[in-house]
Amino acid sequence: MRNRNKILTAAAVGAVFTLALGGCTNSENGSTSSGESGSTSNGDVTTLTFWSYYTAGSQAEWLAAQVKKFETDNPDIKIDVIETVGDQQDQKLLASVATGRGPDLFINNIVVDFPTLAAAGVFADLTPYWEKFADADEFPEASVWKDGDTVYNLLPYTNLLGMYYNLDILGEYGITEPPATLEELQADMEVVTADGKYKGLALSGAPSVEGAWLFAPQLLGEGINYCNFDGPKVGEAFNRLDSWASDGFIPKAAATWDQNASWQQFMTGKYAFAFNGNWQLGGLEDVAFKYGTAQYPKPEDGFSQVYPGGEGYGIGSQSEHPDLAWKFLEQAILTPEAADAIFTATGSIPTRADATDSAALQGDFVKPFVTAASDPGSWPKNENTAKMQNALGTEVSSVISGQKTGDEGAQAAIKNIADAAAGGGC
Amino acid sequence: MPSHQPMGRRARGKVPVAYLVPGFLVLAAFAAYPMFVLVRMSLSDVGPSNIVGDWPFVGLRNFADVLGTGEVWQSIWRTAFIAFFLLASNLIIGFMAASVLAIKGKLPTIVLGIMVFVWALPPLVSGSLWKFLLNDSGAINGILEAVGLPPAAWLSEPDLALWSVAAVIAWASLPFSILIIRGGLLAIPIDVLEAAEIDGASYWQSRFQIVLPLLRPTLWILGILTVLYAFKSFDFIYVLTRGGPGTVTSTLPVKSYNDAFSDFAMSTGATVAVVSMLFVVLLAIPYLRSLRKEVIE
Repeated sequence: MRNRNKILTAAAVGAVFTLALGGCTNSENGSTSSGESGSTSNGDVTTLTFWSYYTAGSQAEWLAAQVKKFETDNPDIKIDVIETVGDQQDQKLLASVATGRGPDLFINNIVVDFPTLAAAGVFADLTPYWEKFADADEFPEASVWKDGDTVYNLLPYTNLLGMYYNLDILGEYGITEPPATLEELQADMEVVTADGKYKGLALSGAPSVEGAWLFAPQLLGEGINYCNFDGPKVGEAFNRLDSWASDGFIPKAAATWDQNASWQQFMTGKYAFAFNGNWQLGGLEDVAFKYGTAQYPKPEDGFSQVYPGGEGYGIGSQSEHPDLAWKFLEQAILTPEAADAIFTATGSIPTRADATDSAALQGDFVKPFVTAASDPGSWPKNENTAKMQNALGTEVSSVISGQKTGDEGAQAAIKNIADAAAGGGC
Repeated sequence: MPSHQPMGRRARGKVPVAYLVPGFLVLAAFAAYPMFVLVRMSLSDVGPSNIVGDWPFVGLRNFADVLGTGEVWQSIWRTAFIAFFLLASNLIIGFMAASVLAIKGKLPTIVLGIMVFVWALPPLVSGSLWKFLLNDSGAINGILEAVGLPPAAWLSEPDLALWSVAAVIAWASLPFSILIIRGGLLAIPIDVLEAAEIDGASYWQSRFQIVLPLLRPTLWILGILTVLYAFKSFDFIYVLTRGGPGTVTSTLPVKSYNDAFSDFAMSTGATVAVVSMLFVVLLAIPYLRSLRKEVIE
């Protein structure tokens, strides 16, 4: 009876938001509507469902290859990869708890949704598996996400931000070294944009977690994170962003760009610099200009530090075959071979210690990201972390677009992040 | 003495009630119950940790919190702006276009066919197309530059973004208005227009002084439907700006979505949705009255 009530409630919540929003579409990537949840057995073959928002490109190809190899090695297990929409993955996972039709395996945007999904009971407890996992010592503490002492989510590879630069443009203006500090970056942008031929910096300033992620390192480098987000340094960082926008180093359009849109702009060859992630390294083969990579520029008296990103891998709390699901993670995702393959395919940096030592990860282009991975920032362990990040992203977008001044954006960010964090701890 | 009503008449008397049952059940399952849950959520403290479980009742606290911030009032204002923009577009441009198209011929038929196509396009598709066109380096700025005009940041300039979004929504809703108004125009007896012509009225004189008053009931209903459409417009804004830059295009439905599904503040999202729904209910009352009046007439 209670389950039926849960199902009715979940269905009603979904339906009512759909009604209220006037038909918010979720047909973008054609997530399936039936047979997408839970495991099934057919004779000797057990099928596990895997909700993945890798729908195209190198990440999807890597996952497909890992699944294929696993199925070949384990003919009694089939992995049914269900394509979902990234933006709606959390909603689906939260709803699945209520309906009892969750997946066996899934990926999630770990840095945004981990506390939320853990609080909602989406994850199965991985602690017993992790304690018996022979290679557990190869993974740093930061890649094993816990709530208390319970392991829920694993981060087998990470994505970090860095700076890309167009060597052709810098060479044209006699700039021989990439900027190491934000002040040097500003000076270089003044030079390359002075005659209007080129633009300065391509970055995402979307009013979302993406805009927040791209801007946050300017404060992390001053020792300011979501848990101590206050003080004059916040104002200085927002005013710097404001001046970059008003001086034309960043176009106003960046206020709505996501990371892919900003990358496409950099790829046009019109931008001297871009802030983006290591996952873009895989797509640089056919680029028409010479380029380089560096760590995210540090504040004058600070240091370079970025937040780690990446996909979390979890087992659904309602999976009927958690042992088989773990077997998949152990054999297809957490191996050294999988680590090498994900780096080769996408540029994502494996978190396994033995993988980060490999020669492939010592290349010039990836090195700044690997260095950044050695000392990343810490995310708040707060159920409202998504709200905190969205609050920052919204103000970043406001300042880039000119809706608010730097001071106004800083004050609003300080207040809204504090409001969001209230009672949730760090 | 008991009345002996014939069996057939009694059965016929019950039939209409029986016909209502399926509709009532569907309405209860897909509209009434979800709305009940929405209202309950707006009166409770619900987050991801207790979406499954008990929802502590908090009375009107969520409404006080939501209405106590300037944010929601700005969203209401933006939604109202889009409603006024659509009203102007649908009624004025719609009437003029319908007047031109209410003639027989190949060209009007072709134009109407194209409009139906535009109307039937999924918002995700047409929204993406407009996003591409309105991009900084998109076709519209390309045309502006070609004729010597400066380009504009259509979707990222705070003073322009809401106008751009409203214009795209208006573009998508205009075909429906034209078809409705054209239907109303074609229903006007030709004798009335011929009499006006004999009396010396010009084409546009007869449009404004004779046709327009006769169309008033149609335009009234269309106006209400337009405002309702504005209050539920979500898809175009989601595709074009996601409520940005900053919050300048964050209307009530967008704010509700972002609160509930980006911030996971379920109760806040539900409260904003209820506020939005109250506006829709207020507008639905005159709409229903108009419909009833038409039926009676």
